[in-house]
Amino acid sequence: MLRPFELSEPTSVAEASELLARHGDAARIYAGGTELILVMKEGLVHYEHLVNVKTIPGLAGVRLDAGTLRLGAATSHRARERDPLVRQHFPAVARMEADVANVRVREVGTLGGNLCFAEPHADPGTLLQVFDATARIEKKGSARTIPLEGLFVGPFETCLEGDELLTEIVVPPLPSRSAAAYLKFGFLERPSVGVAVAVTLDDGHVADARIAVGCVGPVPRRMREAEAELRGKPRTETGAALATAGRIAGRAADAITDLHGSAEYKEHLVGVLLRRAWDQALAAIDGSPRR
Amino acid sequence: MKEIAMTVIVNGDKHDLTVPPHETLIECLRDRLGLLGVKKSCDVQVCGTCTVLLDDRPVSACTVLAFEARGRSVRTIEGLARGDDLHPVQEAFVEHGALQCGFCTPGMIMATVALINENPRPTADEVKHYMRGNICRCTGYKRILEAILDASRRMSGASAGNGR
Amino acid sequence: MKVEREVTIAAPRETVWDFLWDVPRLAGCIPGARDVRTIEERKTYTAVVADKVGPFKVQFPLTIEVVDVQAPERLRVRANGRDTAVDGLVKVDLDVTVTPAETGTALKVAADISVLGKLGTLGHSVIVRKGTDIVDRFAQAVRAQLEAKA
Repeated sequence: MLRPFELSEPTSVAEASELLARHGDAARIYAGGTELILVMKEGLVHYEHLVNVKTIPGLAGVRLDAGTLRLGAATSHRARERDPLVRQHFPAVARMEADVANVRVREVGTLGGNLCFAEPHADPGTLLQVFDATARIEKKGSARTIPLEGLFVGPFETCLEGDELLTEIVVPPLPSRSAAAYLKFGFLERPSVGVAVAVTLDDGHVADARIAVGCVGPVPRRMREAEAELRGKPRTETGAALATAGRIAGRAADAITDLHGSAEYKEHLVGVLLRRAWDQALAAIDGSPRR
Repeated sequence: MKEIAMTVIVNGDKHDLTVPPHETLIECLRDRLGLLGVKKSCDVQVCGTCTVLLDDRPVSACTVLAFEARGRSVRTIEGLARGDDLHPVQEAFVEHGALQCGFCTPGMIMATVALINENPRPTADEVKHYMRGNICRCTGYKRILEAILDASRRMSGASAGNGR
Repeated sequence: MKVEREVTIAAPRETVWDFLWDVPRLAGCIPGARDVRTIEERKTYTAVVADKVGPFKVQFPLTIEVVDVQAPERLRVRANGRDTAVDGLVKVDLDVTVTPAETGTALKVAADISVLGKLGTLGHSVIVRKGTDIVDRFAQAVRAQLEAKA
């Protein structure tokens, strides 16, 4: 039995923001509840006041705007898994969403909830960073946009102020001759290691390489030092560079030894998943005539 | 604390209820409406035993709040059979021996109904992907997979066969 | 989980050893510690250690027993406590050694931290990072305190 709480159902972002400001630490945003209700049930945390954001029009939805994907924060994982626009134009995103948790969590859980709960062992935050996605954050009277990477401050901690809401994630398209891939590995309920890449080819060379690692460190983040190893290389000569990039990314991932495995094991997996994701991305570029 | 007045259709029956916001759907279905076919197992939405359909979508009754069902329809295992006539998915599970202790079965069947509703002829891989979140400790899953594939064949009008 | 940290402090060994028994000041070096009380001098103490990770707050009332003393070089302490709100039990075995070093004194802190119960399972990864962080900050704080005086 959950401890009792009050429920508010605002119909605007401003109203929600006001409620959060008024109740302070005693209030929390409630969307799908797939993370929040769990920890409240476990007794790890309690909020006297939940602010339902599903009653705010316009917060859910998938739109393609001149090639850019705009994802409402209250959109469910399944909506993105199944959306024809996402599947066609951002197939790596649709595939990642299809593998989040299980089908029931995907039906109910939202992108905003996933990102703002900031549980390190999660998927969307890792992949969306290789698209240079941005996050739109609003409160009563103002809005700001930040790179998605900046949202994550620590485990279960975002940069959101007490009265702010994440309202939208904006995902720009990759350039032509590009593809992204996301691979994860785990044996517990949540993934232990997640690696995302986005590759852009130009005349047989790696024009751009983007790498993000999640689940391993306290936050998902880009591995820019590892990326530099791959940029500019001829695509047929990336073997050694991938191994080096894997080692750099593994070390930079700040792994600890815990129930998900030893630090060495996780570092090793980063390298393995990086190589496989890289191959997958290249195959996607080769397999697609327009890209 | 303000309670929420709501109307919900459960297995075709209309119910007018007043629930506190913190009540979970499984508490509502089991404790208020006596639908004990909705089983509580892990209570953290990973095992699938409490799977019910909310507007035809599979959800974890243990983690969805009851008030979220307001104005919507809920279907549990009790709502599948028509009198003595089992639903084709139930029939397939029985015929294929796709249960032993039976505890995961209501959730398995509800998830299957949702799957076939969405994807009338899933491949084995599609079944495995969709059903990944429903755990069985007894059967080893083989017969469950066969039952699901068979049920999908029957429900789409193809001739019944013995597994693929 | 085991965490070990060593710092070199520019102060003589006796000063460092004495500091370890200056309970109020020592407790001040433990992030989140407060309400430190002496039950029996040099034997038993109580304290409350509070911390938070994101929205999750824990508060452990701890009983601290001095298990073994080898003045002026080694001290072993055991602390345990149960969180008041969440199902979690914490047990810390601390092995502190104080040895002369070239530029002063080497203070080595070896902590064996166990968190049992729901908190231990659900919060395992967080606890590993936090435990390491706390021992880190403790060692740095002791050094800062002693070098400030000197």
